[in-house]
Amino acid sequence: MADVAQWPAVLRNGRALLGLFVFLLLFLVAAAAPLLAPHDPLEQDLVNSFLPPFWRPDADPQFLFGTDSLGRDIFSRLIYGARIAFIVAVVAASLVCVLGTMLGLLSGYYGGWIDTGISRLVDVWMSFPPVLLSIVLAAVIGAGLQAVIIAIVVVDWTRFCRIVRAEVLVQREQDYVTAALTMGLGRPHIMLREILPNILPTLAVLYSLEMGIAIIVEAILSFVGLSVASDAPTWGGLIQEGRLYINQAWWLLALPVGCIIVTVLGLNALGDGLRESLDPVLRR
Amino acid sequence: MSRVTRRHFLQATAAGLPALGLIGANRAADAQGAKALTIAYNVNLPSWDPTVGLSAVNPTIQSIYKSVFDQYIDQNPNLSFKPGLLTKWGWNDDKSKISVTLRNGAFWHDGTPVTPADVVWSLERAGDPKGGNPIQFVWGKIGNFKVDGMTVTADVKEFEPTLFKWMAFLTGYVLPKAAYEKAGAEGFEKRPIGSGPYMVEAFERNAFVRLKAFPKWWGGKPAFDSVVFKFVPDATSRVAEVESGSSDLTIEIPYEEFDRLKKKPGLEGTTTPVSDIAMIFITNIEPMLDRNVRLALHHAIDKKTIVNRLLRGYGVPIDTLEAPQYAAFDPSIKVGYDPKLAKALMAKSGFSPEKPVKFTIQTTRGFKPKDYEMIQAIVGMWRKVGAEANIEIYEIAKHFELRAQHKLAPAAFYNWGNSIGDPSTSTGFAMFGPSPHSAWKTPDLDAKIGPLWGEKDEAKRIAGYKAGDRYIAEEGYVIPLFQYVQPITYRKGLKVVPHVANYILPQSITPA
Amino acid sequence: MPLGYIGKRLAMAIPTLFGVAVVVFVLLRVVPGDPIAMMLPPGARADDIERLRALYGLNHPIVEQFGRWLLDLVTGNFGTSISLHQGVFGLIMSRLPATLELALAALVVATAAGVLFGVAAAYWRGRWPEVAVDALTGLGMAIPDFLWALLLVLALGVLLPVLPISGRIDPRTEISFVTEFYLAESFVRGEFAVAGSLLAHMVLPVAALALPLTAAISRILKGAINEAMSQDYILMARVKGFSKARIVWREALRNALVPAVTLSGVQFTFLIGGTVLVERIFGYPGIGNMAIGAVIDRDLPLIQGIVLIFAVLFIVVNLLVDMTYVAINPRIRHG
Repeated sequence: MADVAQWPAVLRNGRALLGLFVFLLLFLVAAAAPLLAPHDPLEQDLVNSFLPPFWRPDADPQFLFGTDSLGRDIFSRLIYGARIAFIVAVVAASLVCVLGTMLGLLSGYYGGWIDTGISRLVDVWMSFPPVLLSIVLAAVIGAGLQAVIIAIVVVDWTRFCRIVRAEVLVQREQDYVTAALTMGLGRPHIMLREILPNILPTLAVLYSLEMGIAIIVEAILSFVGLSVASDAPTWGGLIQEGRLYINQAWWLLALPVGCIIVTVLGLNALGDGLRESLDPVLRR
Repeated sequence: MSRVTRRHFLQATAAGLPALGLIGANRAADAQGAKALTIAYNVNLPSWDPTVGLSAVNPTIQSIYKSVFDQYIDQNPNLSFKPGLLTKWGWNDDKSKISVTLRNGAFWHDGTPVTPADVVWSLERAGDPKGGNPIQFVWGKIGNFKVDGMTVTADVKEFEPTLFKWMAFLTGYVLPKAAYEKAGAEGFEKRPIGSGPYMVEAFERNAFVRLKAFPKWWGGKPAFDSVVFKFVPDATSRVAEVESGSSDLTIEIPYEEFDRLKKKPGLEGTTTPVSDIAMIFITNIEPMLDRNVRLALHHAIDKKTIVNRLLRGYGVPIDTLEAPQYAAFDPSIKVGYDPKLAKALMAKSGFSPEKPVKFTIQTTRGFKPKDYEMIQAIVGMWRKVGAEANIEIYEIAKHFELRAQHKLAPAAFYNWGNSIGDPSTSTGFAMFGPSPHSAWKTPDLDAKIGPLWGEKDEAKRIAGYKAGDRYIAEEGYVIPLFQYVQPITYRKGLKVVPHVANYILPQSITPA
Repeated sequence: MPLGYIGKRLAMAIPTLFGVAVVVFVLLRVVPGDPIAMMLPPGARADDIERLRALYGLNHPIVEQFGRWLLDLVTGNFGTSISLHQGVFGLIMSRLPATLELALAALVVATAAGVLFGVAAAYWRGRWPEVAVDALTGLGMAIPDFLWALLLVLALGVLLPVLPISGRIDPRTEISFVTEFYLAESFVRGEFAVAGSLLAHMVLPVAALALPLTAAISRILKGAINEAMSQDYILMARVKGFSKARIVWREALRNALVPAVTLSGVQFTFLIGGTVLVERIFGYPGIGNMAIGAVIDRDLPLIQGIVLIFAVLFIVVNLLVDMTYVAINPRIRHG
């Protein structure tokens, strides 16, 4: 339990703080999107398409970042995009985390044929290029937010599984596990109540990195045209739309790219910060 | 510095230190001197046989086929027909026989003459059910070929009014019997031989095809000695190709970019309405069984604003599946934008913006310019008259599958191409119930189109389709949106004749 | 390295390959896009559909289809591409070398640049070079390769048009290659002008692919050097009065290379995966470009073949990485 006592150390780590700030900001924007957004992100006005952003002299103060080809408010779309990014990041990372951790725990703790089986599966999975696999998967499932999340989970669970398994192999040999065994505690109990808490720091690191990956995968699938189906504004979708007008309105591309970069940088910093302050094993 | 010395300099630099960068810049300047033309093309060429398989019916690659192979019959830029390898063609009086005449002085790229035996072999191969020609259902309707000099006659097994139009359309190409049989299918893919204006010099899959002018082409040696089709599927990269001067010409770029590029010094642009119609398929399921709803949806769409604002004016609003260049175009069929009428019609069926009719509309995204944005705009217009449509995105492959199974959503966006402009290949295939390509399948309409398939009187056939189109518009069985316009961007100093069938033919491009 | 270990790892690759085959088959037979529907010409009839289904063996029960497919794979028959009308295996083999050349070039560039940046950051620890490298690696890792590709097209292709944006070679190059490894072959044959053209076409895609990898390597290396620098033997060297440059380059780097090389091997597989989008954007005629086309066309045999080949490639790379790891670090024994 020593590691958990180090949680306050996170708050003394500059990177972790920065990352935490970005994450909380994303959460707040996502949660308060309807309050923050000045317009309905879907509301179109073909007559007022391509309005310039605020730094142009002819800007309309109603539309901070101007409007897109259908006359929709860019600012509101970015805000609602944050909401989808947050949902994709948290839901996908959570599912990946739960699935990968469960299999990793089972594999590492029980060993034997369970370990062999799961390790084999990981081997098979690691043999696919992740980008191609997610593209093929999204093509199979069909476009939609669910498809994006499923593609991420199916492709990325191995990342958690491998590292959790390695961690468990280390933890299994620790004194506290031996002690628990001699106390006669059951194996599931030891696995979930004793070992799991001790690998939480590792999970926290992986989780924050996975959120960044999820946001990027969404952008990749949008790029190939396989992401969210309805006219929901995702950052990846905004990039794809903005790309077409790069010479007419470069900010249509730059703004969502900026959002993704800042968010992913923040989440990566959070992961690194957590690693530095919590986890001596992963620390480099 | 003169061009030659500059090139030598580049080569020397490249040889000395294989360093980067300098090569490839401003290549168009070199190209001019060498009488070469580089086209940044939007799709890859999958296969060289223009008569077999899926690629044979892919309209977007016909330009390359038409550069290397000759069609039986060719088309002018305005879609009217002109001699190809055949100089004469026609039915006998009771339409039980056809007779076609091969031109003299046509040669294959290997130097041997094109013979009537090649024509017969090509037609027999196309009509063979096991041959893999996707249009076999047309070619199989003639048989028992006989050769007399340069003339080939055949018996008509089943009358097909559009037979000769198909000779200028998909899979209507003549291939060399001897060369093909010698090389085999795989060998022919590696070394295709045609009789067209250009010979294949090098083909790098997914990268480019380099063509060389065929001096013995019956149409005269083309203007450019060397033509390169460079496959650049990404639109942004295609824009960069012409803008940087690496390519001389490109197509299918966003209209905004077209407008920007054509203003640049050194670049020009031309546009032409092409034989491709944006439309919304209506499937005969709820809620589309209600005529009020169907018509309201049509009246609610402001096609003019969509074309002007979204397509920057590059499109021609249309109310039937026949474009003005087509044989059965009838300008008197009008539906019109009328949101008040749309609202009233909706109200008649008990729908309003507060209590909207709900359904799904399917669309591709990025398959055609602005397809997805257009549907977003249309859904926005529908919302105002009392229809709440949920947008579902699919790949074009999925569209074909669903359409063949008659499982499309109540509304589905598509673009219908028809470069021969015959009504049977637009209204016929798209609206006739038994056709696997139709979405609206009801007996009332089938009764109007059905008899036209074998109609021997051409005037009656065209009139029949016009009547069918009018009925379709009155009943709202389909929502035609507009005719596409193809933007072509090219460097100054070229003369480009746009083709309504959307072909980019190097043989019709000349230095101005 | 013990031969037994190699044999064991090779033997382990076989069930992995089988597993890959099962996954690929299961995955793609639930593809909703029916490839046959795509091939339907206007006016096709029900019997045409059936004929095509039979032609591609899609009318047999699913287990039988799998059996036939597996048998074909073992005999090297990957089937015929639906959209390209050619043998899948031949198609893939004709395009794979282009991708390999691209990926290897990116690997070389990324390793060189990564080592340089990593060492610089460790050498000037706490000074501005470290800050700069940290910022760069942060960006490099946060921006995925396809976004780099887009940014490069805009920056170098349009604003500063000195580099070719698409393709692999100037289409007007009059040279017939014997192999598909154009770059290697042109060097071997002394065709340096051709090699120059090939390299010029590679600059942008290589940069897009190499940037994230460079960032990863320099980061790992910096960490490893810093860790090595705190080890006893380095302290000893310092006490002995060796120069800092010598210590970093000779002592610390040598020890830090083990984890860095191993990790860059793993990263290499990501890089190969990254070629899919990057090749598409730069119109580079590799297997990744072909893969997207196959997905769009729902060309089942081709998708299956490409995914399989990628998997084999990954298995081989992982095998090599593992062996390197065991070779440098004999204490590790894999279970």
